[in-house]
Amino acid sequence: MLRALRTLLAFAVIGLLVTAASAADKIRVVATIPDLKALTEEVGGKLVDVESLARGTQNAHELEIRPSLMLKLRRADLLMENGLELDSWAEVAVQGANNPNIVRGAPGRVDVSHGIQVLEVPSTRVDRSMGDVHPLGNPHYSLDPGMAPIITQNIADALARFASEHRAEFEKNRQAFLARLNEAMARWTRAMEPLRGAKVVVYHPQWIYLLSRFGLSQAAALEDRPGIPASPAHLTRVIRQMKDEQIKVIIVEPWNDLKLATRVADEAGAKAVVLASMVGGVKGADSYIAAIDHNVNALAQALR
Amino acid sequence: MRVLALIFIALCTALTPAIAAAQDAAELRRQIEQLQKQLQSVTDRLQRLESQPPPPGPAPATPTVAPGAAAPPPAGGSLSAIDLARPRQPFSLYQQRGSGQLLFDMGIAGDFVGNITQRNVARAGGGTFAGQENRFFPREVELSLFGQIDPYASAVVRIEAGEEAPGQETGVHLAEAYLTLLTLPFGTQARLGQMRNRFGWSNEVHEHDLPWVDRPNVMRNFLGAEGMQEKGVELTLVPDLPFYIEALAGIFNGDNETAFGRGTLQHPLATGRLRTFFELGDEHAIQLGMSVASGQTGDRNRSTILGGEWRYKYRPDGWLHPLITLTGEALYSLRKADVGVDLDGDGAIDQVDKRQRNHWGWYTGLEVQPFRRWAGGVRYDWSQYPINPGWEWAIEPYVSFWPSEFLRFRLAYKHTDRSPQTRDAFNLNDSSARKVDELLFQASFILGAHPAHPF
Repeated sequence: MLRALRTLLAFAVIGLLVTAASAADKIRVVATIPDLKALTEEVGGKLVDVESLARGTQNAHELEIRPSLMLKLRRADLLMENGLELDSWAEVAVQGANNPNIVRGAPGRVDVSHGIQVLEVPSTRVDRSMGDVHPLGNPHYSLDPGMAPIITQNIADALARFASEHRAEFEKNRQAFLARLNEAMARWTRAMEPLRGAKVVVYHPQWIYLLSRFGLSQAAALEDRPGIPASPAHLTRVIRQMKDEQIKVIIVEPWNDLKLATRVADEAGAKAVVLASMVGGVKGADSYIAAIDHNVNALAQALR
Repeated sequence: MRVLALIFIALCTALTPAIAAAQDAAELRRQIEQLQKQLQSVTDRLQRLESQPPPPGPAPATPTVAPGAAAPPPAGGSLSAIDLARPRQPFSLYQQRGSGQLLFDMGIAGDFVGNITQRNVARAGGGTFAGQENRFFPREVELSLFGQIDPYASAVVRIEAGEEAPGQETGVHLAEAYLTLLTLPFGTQARLGQMRNRFGWSNEVHEHDLPWVDRPNVMRNFLGAEGMQEKGVELTLVPDLPFYIEALAGIFNGDNETAFGRGTLQHPLATGRLRTFFELGDEHAIQLGMSVASGQTGDRNRSTILGGEWRYKYRPDGWLHPLITLTGEALYSLRKADVGVDLDGDGAIDQVDKRQRNHWGWYTGLEVQPFRRWAGGVRYDWSQYPINPGWEWAIEPYVSFWPSEFLRFRLAYKHTDRSPQTRDAFNLNDSSARKVDELLFQASFILGAHPAHPF
C-alpha cells in the first residue's frame, strides 16, 4: 500500500515538473474573457499558454472574484483586458495575485480596446437611472468579426513587446488567422445579405456590433434598461411592438433568462435564439470563428 | 401752411418706425425660412447617414468620442454670449482623461438600519444595536476614494458618517486610509495605514456588504461592534504554487479596546492569516482560512485570539448568482484577566489575581438565492464573552431584495437567548435583556464606483 502511494506521489511530482517545464518556455497570458483568449492563441500559436478568467457561459459584466482567478494571474506575464469597463472586476483579482507584471500601468497590462471605433458612446449625461450603462460606450466589440484585425494587432504588439524575437512569427500567425477570417467573412456576408434591414429584439443590449456589421437593427430590448429586469408593462409594450413590426427574433445571451425570452417570443409569434455572447458560450462555439459562425447561422436561420 | 408742415413731420415721425419694423419682420421671416431650410437639409443628411450600413471590413482605428465631451470652443478662443449661455455637459468621472480630470474613482455607500424590540430590552440597552433600540438611523454612510498613486502603489481612503447615539449628532470619522505597494518581489505586497484587518472572513467586509443586517455575535463580542480596525502594516505572500494559498503577517498598534487596547508599537498587536481555496468543478468552491491575533490589553495582560473560517458557494453553471452560500467562523480567545478576589467573604475585594479566561464562540449562516433579485437565509450564533461568564445563542432568518445591483432592502427577525450567568451584564434600569426578539430592517445603496466583492 505504502509502496503504491509512493509510486503515485513520484508520478504526480514528475507530472507537475514536466508540466511546469513545458509551460516555462511559453509566454504566460491571461485574458479576462474567452474571446481574447481565443484570439491570443491564434496570434501567439505555440509560443503562448493562455488562460481565461471568465468562461463563455458567464456574464462578463459581473464576475465573482474567486481566489482561483488570482492563482491564474499569479504567474502571468501578460494580462489581456477587454477594457471599456466590461472587465473592471479584474482589478480586484490582480490586487490579490501579488504579481507586479500585470498591475495597472505595468507593461504586462494590455487594454485590447485601443483603436476600436466604440459604438453607443453616450453623448449626454448618464447616470444609474438609465440602468447599468457603460459610460465609455458599448464594450462588446469582439462580437463583430470586423474588429478582429484591430484586436489581433493589439495582441500581436503586446506579445512582440514581451518577446520581440518572435515578432515575425506573431505577425505570420495573425495573417494566417485573418486570411481564414476573411474567407469566413465572405460566407457570413453572403448569408446575411438577404436579411439586411431586418429588425431584432435583444434581451441585453450587447449585440450592436454584430447587428451593425450585417445591417440588422435592434428594435427593442427585453431589459427595461441595461441590467434592470423587465417590468410586465415593458414586456407588454415589447410584445405589441414585435407584433406591429413583425419582428421574428429575440436574441438571448447564454447567461440570461431563456424561459422569459421564450415566453415573450411565443406571445409575439417569434423565436428566441441563444447566441454565443463569448467564445464557448454555446456548444460548438469553441473558437473565435466557430462562435461567429454559430451566431450568423443561428440568426440567418431564425430570420428566414 | 405751417400747420400742414407740422402734420407732415408728425406723420413721418410716426410712420418711420412702423416701416422699419415691417422691414425687420420681413428680414426675420426670411432668416427663419433660411434656418428651416438648413435644418431640413441637416435632418435629411442625418437620416441618410443613419440608414446606411457600416462600411465592410475592419473598422478604422479612429479615436473614440469621449462620452459627454463638451463641444470644443470656437476658433480664436473668444466665447460669444450664446456660447456662454449654452447648457454645459455635466462633470463626469468617466470622461476621457484630460487635464483637471480626477484620476481616481469615488463612490458612496449608504446603509440605514432600523430595529423594533421589547421595551425592557430597550431600557436595558441589550439589543443588537445597543442604545439605538426601536430606532431607524444611518448606521454608515461611507465615502470611498480609491485608485493608483503611481505605477507602484494604490491607495484607498474611506470616510464614514453615522449616528452613534440617538439625537441630531452624526459622527464622522476616518474608517480606512491605506496604501498598497503592488510591485514588491517574490509574490509579496504590503499594505500600510489604517485598515480593516484581514482577520477571518467577515472582519474585512464593510457593514453594507455583509450578507446579514448585523455582524455575527461572536465577532461583536470578541472584536467589538465595529470589528478590528487597526493602524499598522500588513504583508501578504502568494507563493507560486499549483494551488492558491495566501499568507499574511501584520504588525499594528493594538488600539482595539475590546480585544487588546495597549495601543503601542512597543507591545504591538501581531496578526497572521493563512487562506486557501479549492474549486470542485466550475460550480462548487470552498475557501478555508485560519487567523491569529496576539497583543496586550490596556491593563497589560496578554490576549490572543485564534480564528477559523469557511465559506462554500454553489453556483450552477451560467447563473449570475450563487444558489447556495454557506459561511461560518469560530473564534477562540486566550486571555489573562485581572479578577478581584474576596478572601474573607466580607464582600470587599482583597486582592486582584490574574486569571486565565479561555472563551470561544462561532456562527454559521446559510443563504439560498433562487432568483436574481431575491435571497433568503438564516444565521445561527453561539458565543461566550471574552471575560465575563455565561453565553448567548441567537437565530436570525432574513430575506433580501435587490431592485437593482445598486440598491438592496433586507428584513430580518432575530431571537437572542442569554444564559442566566449574564444577568449582571444585561439587567440594567430594572429591566432584563436576557431574551431578546427583534425585527431588523436595512436599506443600502451604492452611488458611483464600487469595487467588485471578493469571494
